[in-house]
Amino acid sequence: MSALHFDTLVWHWPIAIYLFLAGVSAGAMFFAVLLKHFVLKHNAYQSGFVQAACIVAPVAVMAGLGILVLDLTKPFDFWKILVFYNPTSVMSMGVLILLIYQVFMFMWIGITFRKPVDAWCEKRFPIVLKLTALLARFEASTTGLLVIFSLALGAYTGFLLSALPGYPMLKNPVLPLLFLASGLSSGAASALLGGVLLKGSPNGKEVHFIHKVEIPLILVEIVLIFTFFMGLVLTGGQSKIAAFNAIGYGFWGWVFWIGIVGLGLSGPLAMNLFMTATSKRKWAYVAGTACISLIGVLLLRNFILYTGQMTIA
Amino acid sequence: MENSKRRFLKGTCALLAGASGASLLATVNASGSVKAEPDVKYALIHDETKCIGCRACEVACREVNNVPEGVTRLEIKQAGPFGEYPNQFYHFSRKSCQHCEDAPCVNVCPTGAAFIDKQTGIVSVDAWKCVGCQYCIAACPYQVRFINPVTRAADKCDFCRETNLAQGKQPACVAICPTKALVFGNLKDPTSEVVQVLRSNPTQRAKVDLGTRPKLFRIVAKSGEVTL
Repeated sequence: MSALHFDTLVWHWPIAIYLFLAGVSAGAMFFAVLLKHFVLKHNAYQSGFVQAACIVAPVAVMAGLGILVLDLTKPFDFWKILVFYNPTSVMSMGVLILLIYQVFMFMWIGITFRKPVDAWCEKRFPIVLKLTALLARFEASTTGLLVIFSLALGAYTGFLLSALPGYPMLKNPVLPLLFLASGLSSGAASALLGGVLLKGSPNGKEVHFIHKVEIPLILVEIVLIFTFFMGLVLTGGQSKIAAFNAIGYGFWGWVFWIGIVGLGLSGPLAMNLFMTATSKRKWAYVAGTACISLIGVLLLRNFILYTGQMTIA
Repeated sequence: MENSKRRFLKGTCALLAGASGASLLATVNASGSVKAEPDVKYALIHDETKCIGCRACEVACREVNNVPEGVTRLEIKQAGPFGEYPNQFYHFSRKSCQHCEDAPCVNVCPTGAAFIDKQTGIVSVDAWKCVGCQYCIAACPYQVRFINPVTRAADKCDFCRETNLAQGKQPACVAICPTKALVFGNLKDPTSEVVQVLRSNPTQRAKVDLGTRPKLFRIVAKSGEVTL
């Protein structure tokens, strides 16, 4: 059996990229909200990190949806997913969550960047000022709902796979939590990477805050991965076989131990602890840590998707 | 700040109340319009003790349902040969849609293109509604679904619901079987052959532990190997 082509493989890497991008978007929006409310308050729009998150989130979610549509066998019929709904289908409910999430995402970005938007539109399109004023009245509700829907989107990427009863490794209640946690940390990483690229200070208070949240988040991820595989092994039968097929010898075993556990989790954890302990937050440290964190999450999505489909019930 | 928090909470509560009210209303409406239980529920028995592996069923299915080359709705799996000459034998088993009562493919389909026909209990596909996300193919624990290269939609056995059954005939595979190894009929009719055979023979269904409640039964032939 080859690692990338086998009989029971139905969904291949574009789905993993889509799951990754949806998680990045949800995580970036989540951390943008946290940064604004706990660190930056009304000056949030001046921060490179918030700007980066607000660019990454819409681009990632739309690129993800684009990949999803192109991966259909009938891409031009994608509108049927938007017209017909099935309440028992995780995918159908996910489409609903994605649509509502995007509405609140753009509303929140509009509210956060009200000052520069107003300044730019004052002479050219005075009508926009009325719109931003209206949006600003609903800031609290928009923020609350955006947080709820970003968390829902992050968890949805896991539920999408855990709704497949034929694959014992994917039919796992820990998977949505694992994907939520790793999605949030990938969002944080993309905000950090984009932030330092947009001339945000690598020693700024935003970086301090994100690192403070990221360290426990990575620890939670490690616990979730451990629980995920412990649960499979203790369930026995095909679940146990699936677990050992995934993390044992072979291509995906290397990806798991070196790429995910080593590079994607231990690396960022060590770097975050180092940067917190020594207060040395250089541009290269912050950007490098964010990069390996993102690579780790992308590998995790591919690893779960492929190894999950290797063993059937 | 306090004020906006309260407004947010109020708004969310109103939204939740509205949503639950709407779903409640939908259930009430649905339960009001439900008719008496349908009196037809089709099932199929594959008697492996009678199957000789001639594959006439595969050919008949392809012809009647216009299934393109390269894909198939039904497959006879062959294992063996077992035993020493002259007491050698093969083991044949049927791989096709199990017509689950609680079908994973129907549960996951985002558009409702995969559905259970209420009149007959047959799991079916609306090729027009299908967008080809392949969620159903991944969800099926029996690996019987495929993308039809002509319609680009998910496809599988539907007991000839749109072809032979609609013309009052038996499904193509059942009609063609030279050894009468396939028994098709209505589970709700106590006098039907399918019920008689089920009552008088021990049968098995695949992967029942997944809770899918399949309606494809097999009368198991003597097996050539011991699997643990």
